[in-house]
Amino acid sequence: MTYYLVVFVAGFAGSFHCIGMCGGFACALGRDPRGGGATMLRHFVYNTGRLTSYCFLGAVAGALGQMVCTRQGATVMLLGGSVDVAERILAIIAGLLMVAMALQFFGLLQARHHLATGFGSSVFAKSLRSLLTARSRAAPLAFGVFNGFLPCPLVYAFAAEAVSAGQTLRGILTMASFGLGTFPAMLMMGGVGRVLAPAWRQRGVWLAGSCILLLGIITLGRGILPFAAHMEHGWSGVHPR
Amino acid sequence: MTASGHMICSHCLLPVGPRAMRRIVNGEDCGFCCYGCCIAFQVKRGKTEEWEAAWLLIRLGVGGFLSMNIMLFSLLLYTDTFTGADARLIPWVHILLWIFATPAVVILGGPFLHETWLNGLQGRLTSSTLIVLGVGAAYVYSAFAVIERSPHVYFDTATMVLMLFTLGRLLEAAGRARAARDLEPLLAAERESVVVVQDGTEIRRPVREVEAGMLVRVRPGERIAIDGVVVEGESYTDEAVITGESRLVAKEIGSSVAAGSINLDGPLLIQSSGAGTATRWAHICQSVRDALMRRSPNQRVADRVIGISVPLVLALGGMAMLYWAQRLSFDRSLLIGLSVLVVACPCAVGLAAPLATSIGIGRLARCGCLVRDPAALEALARTRLLAFDKTGTLTAGRARVVGIESDGAATDEVLARAAGLERHSEHGLAHAIWMAAATRGLEAVVACEVRTVPGRGIQGIANGQRVAAGTSALMSDLGWPLPQVLAELARSMEASGHSVVYVGWGERVHGVLSFDDTPLAEARSTIEALRRRGLHVTLLTGDLAQAAQRVAAAVGVGGGDIQAGLSPQAKLAALDRSRQGGEPVAMVGDGLNDAPVLAGADVGIAVSSATDLARETAALVLPARGLWLLPWVVDVARAIRLTILTNLMWAFGYNLIALTLAVLGLLQPVLAAAIMASSSILVVINSLRLERLPDPVPSSILRRPSSAETDSTATALAPVMLGSAINRG
Repeated sequence: MTYYLVVFVAGFAGSFHCIGMCGGFACALGRDPRGGGATMLRHFVYNTGRLTSYCFLGAVAGALGQMVCTRQGATVMLLGGSVDVAERILAIIAGLLMVAMALQFFGLLQARHHLATGFGSSVFAKSLRSLLTARSRAAPLAFGVFNGFLPCPLVYAFAAEAVSAGQTLRGILTMASFGLGTFPAMLMMGGVGRVLAPAWRQRGVWLAGSCILLLGIITLGRGILPFAAHMEHGWSGVHPR
Repeated sequence: MTASGHMICSHCLLPVGPRAMRRIVNGEDCGFCCYGCCIAFQVKRGKTEEWEAAWLLIRLGVGGFLSMNIMLFSLLLYTDTFTGADARLIPWVHILLWIFATPAVVILGGPFLHETWLNGLQGRLTSSTLIVLGVGAAYVYSAFAVIERSPHVYFDTATMVLMLFTLGRLLEAAGRARAARDLEPLLAAERESVVVVQDGTEIRRPVREVEAGMLVRVRPGERIAIDGVVVEGESYTDEAVITGESRLVAKEIGSSVAAGSINLDGPLLIQSSGAGTATRWAHICQSVRDALMRRSPNQRVADRVIGISVPLVLALGGMAMLYWAQRLSFDRSLLIGLSVLVVACPCAVGLAAPLATSIGIGRLARCGCLVRDPAALEALARTRLLAFDKTGTLTAGRARVVGIESDGAATDEVLARAAGLERHSEHGLAHAIWMAAATRGLEAVVACEVRTVPGRGIQGIANGQRVAAGTSALMSDLGWPLPQVLAELARSMEASGHSVVYVGWGERVHGVLSFDDTPLAEARSTIEALRRRGLHVTLLTGDLAQAAQRVAAAVGVGGGDIQAGLSPQAKLAALDRSRQGGEPVAMVGDGLNDAPVLAGADVGIAVSSATDLARETAALVLPARGLWLLPWVVDVARAIRLTILTNLMWAFGYNLIALTLAVLGLLQPVLAAAIMASSSILVVINSLRLERLPDPVPSSILRRPSSAETDSTATALAPVMLGSAINRG
């Protein structure tokens, strides 16, 4: 449980970073002329769409991880316990990715912008723009679904984490916690439409970076440390394994 | 011309069949070849308030939302998350999936069903039929499975196949739009509007309403949509679309500008010299449009394959299902049948040829080369023999003084006196004479009371003496004796194909000027470049053998490859003779004198002098003075053919392999759909490589300040000629 809480917090803190992009969209989604309730619903539907995309990514990532882990099946007897080699390799890769993302958040690593805004983002942007002004009640949902696939380093980081989770359900839960974590800021952004002070945004970025760094180091540790393979069980506890 | 019902897709500019999707976008009636293009076009062009563009995206988004939820739970089912005590949840999850899947199938499958229905009414089976049947079967089976509480449902397969195909179509359409980018300026002529200045006010009007004499203002960066003369302002223009050469041409007051060129620097006020629809550029646009609507032989083969493949695949899918049903459970065999249907969609095959061809046509058109028939490109790529006409093609088509013979008088005086007379003439030889005098730095002997004697020559009075230049008939009319030496020289010159002009003064003939056509400066390097590409070059001309020999030697065509003194019919016969083994032959001419030969060759290539493209018989038209582009055009034609072949090979090969795997039951339907969608995208990407072909490099000869007088004059005169040619047209 604690594990998902950390992911939630990382998502929450990270969402202040996202406000630059997704927050802009949320603002653009604006208010519904039918009143405050309708506006709330509009933003809730939008965020549901986004969350679905994240969960889907998490499911695919988790299933991928599970496939790799069960297919390989190469276990090594180590210190009296069996340890899955593939799981460790996945954990190391995911951990490194997350540490790299965290460093990027701290500004210590230059972001490869073309990676994030590569193919299709202009197509996406155009699609999104035309959805923003549509009057349909379903438009925010579609908007959220597309938004979920927008290239974003945070999403990449947690998708990597979901792969290393090595199980479909855990992948979904990881991404869901992250997505839920981004809910408050995004809802606030849309509902209130108030731009947060830059200082607060900076603090949010630092907090997100710290959480991701922490998660990254833990994931990395799961891969490297001989006895830590199932460490996360100790503090999550709810895995239906 | 546009046959009834035939049109090109508004988005990707590929030809669409008689059953185009039609939508009104921005008030214009648009036709689309597929659903993907329809969406992509509306996203790109449609104003945001356009309801349908957004509606299509909403459908995609909501469909995505539903199918992602389905996939999410299905993944949980597949990875055995619900085991043990949780297993009792499974039927409830199935019901949830059913609830999600029903609207998803309706939303995403609607367009496919619609297409199938429309085609089905006309007794046609298309690839949408395959999708609809496969997805429908998976859905119906799963619905029954839920009711009967069977362990497996396949809602995820049904929705993911639909989702992937819709997405694939959208991405494919996006790629095709990129391909259409090159063609856009060439199809814009009819849509273009211009700013007309009338009584001091500026009004934007469509170009078709422009008439001769109107004043049109063109801002920097805009395309000039009319032919005319600059009356205000100065600027540089880029005339690549017309001349094939992308270079800056300075324009000032009095310069003529051609429609289609781009005004780069400053604002220009242009007086139109003709109707807006009568420009060469407008003709080019019409011609490109016509070419895009024709189907090349490869395309016809592909279409036929698609036509028969759909029923074949249906039969195959049915058989595979029946076969496996005896060995596996019903649902497994159903999935195998679905895989077969999905994987055998011949989308990529249908896309292979037209996309590469239209990119190629656009690429060529950007350099001023017009393709009037896509079949000619394919033929050119296979051709091994290139026959050239001489006059106007390998030569400048303009005379040049090559010899001055005199009897006693100085050659310079002969030339100077002749130049003094010919200043007043517009005859082709007159131009050559005063150019020759100017090159030698001679001052023409001023003549007065000059008058031309039609068909004979010209005469006048200089320094109190009668002077005349012209034929021997003119000299004998004047009663001037012709010295024996000169007469013999002139006869031998005439026998070898030269034109001669006698020059006389003081009651006798003093000299003879001989003229010859000059080979183009770039002819030699062009022919060498063609040879390096493995092409055999011959010369077919109606001129005398000696004249042909001289030009052939100058441009590097071997003596055995010359056939002279041919009538147009004889040229055609010569082409037929060389067409051994069924290989196509190409004929290069100037498009004026040898129109029937160009029409008769497999590939007729005109180095454009024809002003009226509508009357052009050649399948391929190079810009004026564009002979140097020929090797590049051959390269492009070959690249297009190679691309089409690789596309077809990939599409067919891929379909065959995937189909085999699917029949053997080794391919999951969702995977099959993913590969299927990506195969079309691969074809698009492969075709887009054509965009990266290198630009033609003008031969070094053209760049060098020329010593040959004709060359320099030709360069200087080119814009004038072009302008006047267009004015006449």
